[in-house]
Amino acid sequence: MVSDVATRPRAPRAAGRTRHRRSRGVWPRVWHFLSFGAPGVLIYVCFVLVPIAVSFGYSLTNYNPFNPPTRFVGLRNYQLMLQDDAFLTSLRITTILTAIVVIVPNVLGLGIAVLLDRRGWLYNALRGVFFTPMVLSSVVISVIWTRMLQDDGPVNQVLRALGVQDPPGWLSDPDIALYSLATVLCWQMLGFCVVIYLAGLSGVPKELMEAAAIDGAGPVRRFWRVTWPMLAPALTVNTVVLLISAFKIFDHVQVMTQGGPGTGSTATIAFLAIQTAFVDNHQGYASAEAVAMLVVIAALTAVSLAVLRRREIDQ
Amino acid sequence: MRDTAPPWARPLAALAVGAFFFVPLYVGVINTFKSPDQIRTDPIGAPHPFTLRNLSTLLTRPDNLYWASVTNSILVTGLSVMVLTVLSATLGHYLARSPSRWGRGLMLLLLCGLMIPPQVILAPVTYVLRAVGLMGTLPGLVLFNVGYYVPFGVFVFTGFMRSVPRDLEEAAAIDGATRGQIFWRIVFPLLRPATASVLIFLGVWIWNDFIDPLIILGPSQGTTITTGIFRSVGVWRTDYGTIFSLMFMGTIPVLVFYLFLQKHFVKGLTGGATKG
Amino acid sequence: MRRILVLGTALTVAGGLSACSVGDQTGGGGQSGGSGASGSKEITFLVFETDNLTPKFWDDNIARVSKKVGVTVKKIVAPGDRTAYAKQLLASGQFPDVQIGLQDLPSFDNGGNLATFGDSELSQFLCPKCSAIKGRTVQLPANTQTWQVFYRKSLFQKAGISAPPKTYAELLADAAALKGKGIQPFVIGGNPSWGSSLPWTGTLTTDLYAADPEWMHQRREGSTKFDSPEFLKATQKFADLAAKGYLNKKDLGQSYDASQAAFLDGKGAMYPMGSWFAAASDASKAKDDIGIFAWPADDGSFHLPSFTGGGLSVNAKSPNVDLAKKFALAWQTDKDYLDTSAVADALFPAIKGYTLPAKDGTVFKAVYDLYREAVDQKATVPAFGWEQGDDGMIAGMPDKWNLTAQDIITGKKTPKQAAGYLDTEWDKSS
Repeated sequence: MVSDVATRPRAPRAAGRTRHRRSRGVWPRVWHFLSFGAPGVLIYVCFVLVPIAVSFGYSLTNYNPFNPPTRFVGLRNYQLMLQDDAFLTSLRITTILTAIVVIVPNVLGLGIAVLLDRRGWLYNALRGVFFTPMVLSSVVISVIWTRMLQDDGPVNQVLRALGVQDPPGWLSDPDIALYSLATVLCWQMLGFCVVIYLAGLSGVPKELMEAAAIDGAGPVRRFWRVTWPMLAPALTVNTVVLLISAFKIFDHVQVMTQGGPGTGSTATIAFLAIQTAFVDNHQGYASAEAVAMLVVIAALTAVSLAVLRRREIDQ
Repeated sequence: MRDTAPPWARPLAALAVGAFFFVPLYVGVINTFKSPDQIRTDPIGAPHPFTLRNLSTLLTRPDNLYWASVTNSILVTGLSVMVLTVLSATLGHYLARSPSRWGRGLMLLLLCGLMIPPQVILAPVTYVLRAVGLMGTLPGLVLFNVGYYVPFGVFVFTGFMRSVPRDLEEAAAIDGATRGQIFWRIVFPLLRPATASVLIFLGVWIWNDFIDPLIILGPSQGTTITTGIFRSVGVWRTDYGTIFSLMFMGTIPVLVFYLFLQKHFVKGLTGGATKG
Repeated sequence: MRRILVLGTALTVAGGLSACSVGDQTGGGGQSGGSGASGSKEITFLVFETDNLTPKFWDDNIARVSKKVGVTVKKIVAPGDRTAYAKQLLASGQFPDVQIGLQDLPSFDNGGNLATFGDSELSQFLCPKCSAIKGRTVQLPANTQTWQVFYRKSLFQKAGISAPPKTYAELLADAAALKGKGIQPFVIGGNPSWGSSLPWTGTLTTDLYAADPEWMHQRREGSTKFDSPEFLKATQKFADLAAKGYLNKKDLGQSYDASQAAFLDGKGAMYPMGSWFAAASDASKAKDDIGIFAWPADDGSFHLPSFTGGGLSVNAKSPNVDLAKKFALAWQTDKDYLDTSAVADALFPAIKGYTLPAKDGTVFKAVYDLYREAVDQKATVPAFGWEQGDDGMIAGMPDKWNLTAQDIITGKKTPKQAAGYLDTEWDKSS
């Protein structure tokens, strides 16, 4: 991509052009919008903005399409939510899941990227292996992993062969199922982190590393002093993407555990919101859950972006 | 890695980590070529005997599960991506060339859409689609995909548009070309790398999408690849032969697509990461 | 620019066109899909596939009955749990015209989504008001199912047990003996979740419904609660089975077909299950090794949970509601269907004048004989968790009850906590 500098000198001319066009009246600009901007904006408004507004509106009602009448209930759904075990549990579960999925692939991804940061057919092939899950559907990944983790699956077969008498019920034990789910997500997201870190590593100037080596810095020291600061943008991207993807996890839960075993041991917020809306038909309450999810995700993204960007600037 | 580490340490470590990571992929592929009984009793061993029966059964099913699903997936993905490319390229161009407050506000509004989880809007989306009579239809799903993914397309195109010099457009305008001609004949061809990014990302995402086709498409139009796999998993009847062969055959198209455009995929991903 | 306009026009036209074609037939909200313009009526039919009820079973029966009625039927196969899927379709405005075997009927009937069958339409049914909601029959009471324990004779012998248990104390002793020999006493399932609650249905049969078959009506009126001595006693028994390891927690990761295979492969000695399992038993190599007994009571008295209903229901808002009802009635009274469903899924048709086909399945015969015996002795009681309509739990509760069973098995909830949770959820839903 060409840098911003190329366009900058042209700024005054652009301003002049705008003035020139304004003198020709408002219609050309309206026409420009109608022909170029409007179709995309219209569909976006219809299928994203209007639904969000509707969601917010319904969250203030007791709407249940099959249990009329619908009444305005103010913030009651939000009050109920704060005392609702199912919602609070889902919030806790989603937070744990998100924390694991933000940390583990970030750390492992960095390690693997450092390991693979070499040329040659072996490294190319291995990169291919790590990237593949990125193009696989979550459903495919969930099905394969379910087979892996079932009691008669490969994981427990290996554990039994190693002499473990009573290997864990990876998906059937409510204390473990959540971590099994997190493992699958980490596996799936790892490739993404590796790509991003590899790109970051390729941007580290050779001269800097050589200079540091001449100064007598060992490889570990060189990494922390030279490489790590240069990876700040990669860390930002990874963290934000992992955060958003982990927080809205649904497919894996639906395919692997259906929120179970038992009541809500793996029911994430996204899963709960869909259940409430499409199975329990409490659309009003489900909308409140959805709005809460949106608020949390927006806040998390904003905070992490702010924190990580500051770190980038501090460098 | 210490400087003193032997030279074979890195390849060996990389190989070990890669092999460990590879196990689930291996399980996914190898079971396609086993008898359903062997998948049940021995999910990790080599096929014994090696069989193509699962694949041939899948491809010749009387209910056409594979062909119907793959047709739906191709239609939905193809149409969505085509419309998305056109709409986000034009909208991106409009925003890049309208540096007014209104344009910036619009951009910001679109960017907010990048982080909205589909679960938040899915229920109201079904009302909207029902209101226009498109619930349960392919056009309905395509329209939703367009609305949901247009921010991403715009994001990519607007970013790229900065590298396209305005002089070209202005020169063409002086020659009397209309805005549409200028865009499609001159600007759009220059946006090829951005188009590639949009195609590949949205193609992969939409192909792999699960919850949206599950709810919006419903049962009347048959399944897509992902909802077809979900249906075969069933809770009553685990038809391993169908599941693994469907996963295999359903992944092949997107994998080929990916390998074809792999360079752009990685480039697209890393564009933001290195620049910050 | 022109291209965009063309595209926009195309989209609008496409939208308009499909809006018209769908609008023509949906009327109320049941979307029938595209049925072409020829005037041939199409109805949609939600079914589910199991090892017993194969795609061929559905296709053959649909082809025959639809020809008889003169209607085109589009089969929809439910992915996952059929009731949950039907709810999802209902919520997204795609409720099929006809559905088979829906559970949690009140959830669907709220808002008047299920058509009522009148007395004249039900003249051929043995129990027209079975599983009715406020006296209205919304699901054809087409067949009867019973719940009992299937056991492996050879595994019992291995553990030195000569006869199936007659009292609950004997059941516990047998379970202990089996476990002592390293044999898993019970096989259960986890997905769908009712696979986990079947032993609970057993203890509730002997300790709650045997004494008071009207218990659920009292709970509906609010004159009793889950947190009551009789419910807690039955629940404690169920919890003890799990605590002693007679129920295997790991089975919660098992789907329905996996638990069935586990029992047929001899990985456990006892399998509490519905009558339909007789079909799979008779089809397996282990058929001569499988016996049955009713869930035993403390005092050895005989009670058998049974349920009549579970047939077809019709979308009241379907544009073709009369045709759909006609199809549903024709389906349920079709002799060939009744024969095949009795053979394939061990359903006992509750249709007047119908006799089961002569069939040499040993397990099926044993299950049917036990049912006849219970009817003769007036020993049938409702099947907890399976009752429908006015006899069952309110909308949304059956699923929560099933999941609570899993919480009890994993030790996440004590019986007291489970009862409290169920009461809270009940009050929330009502």
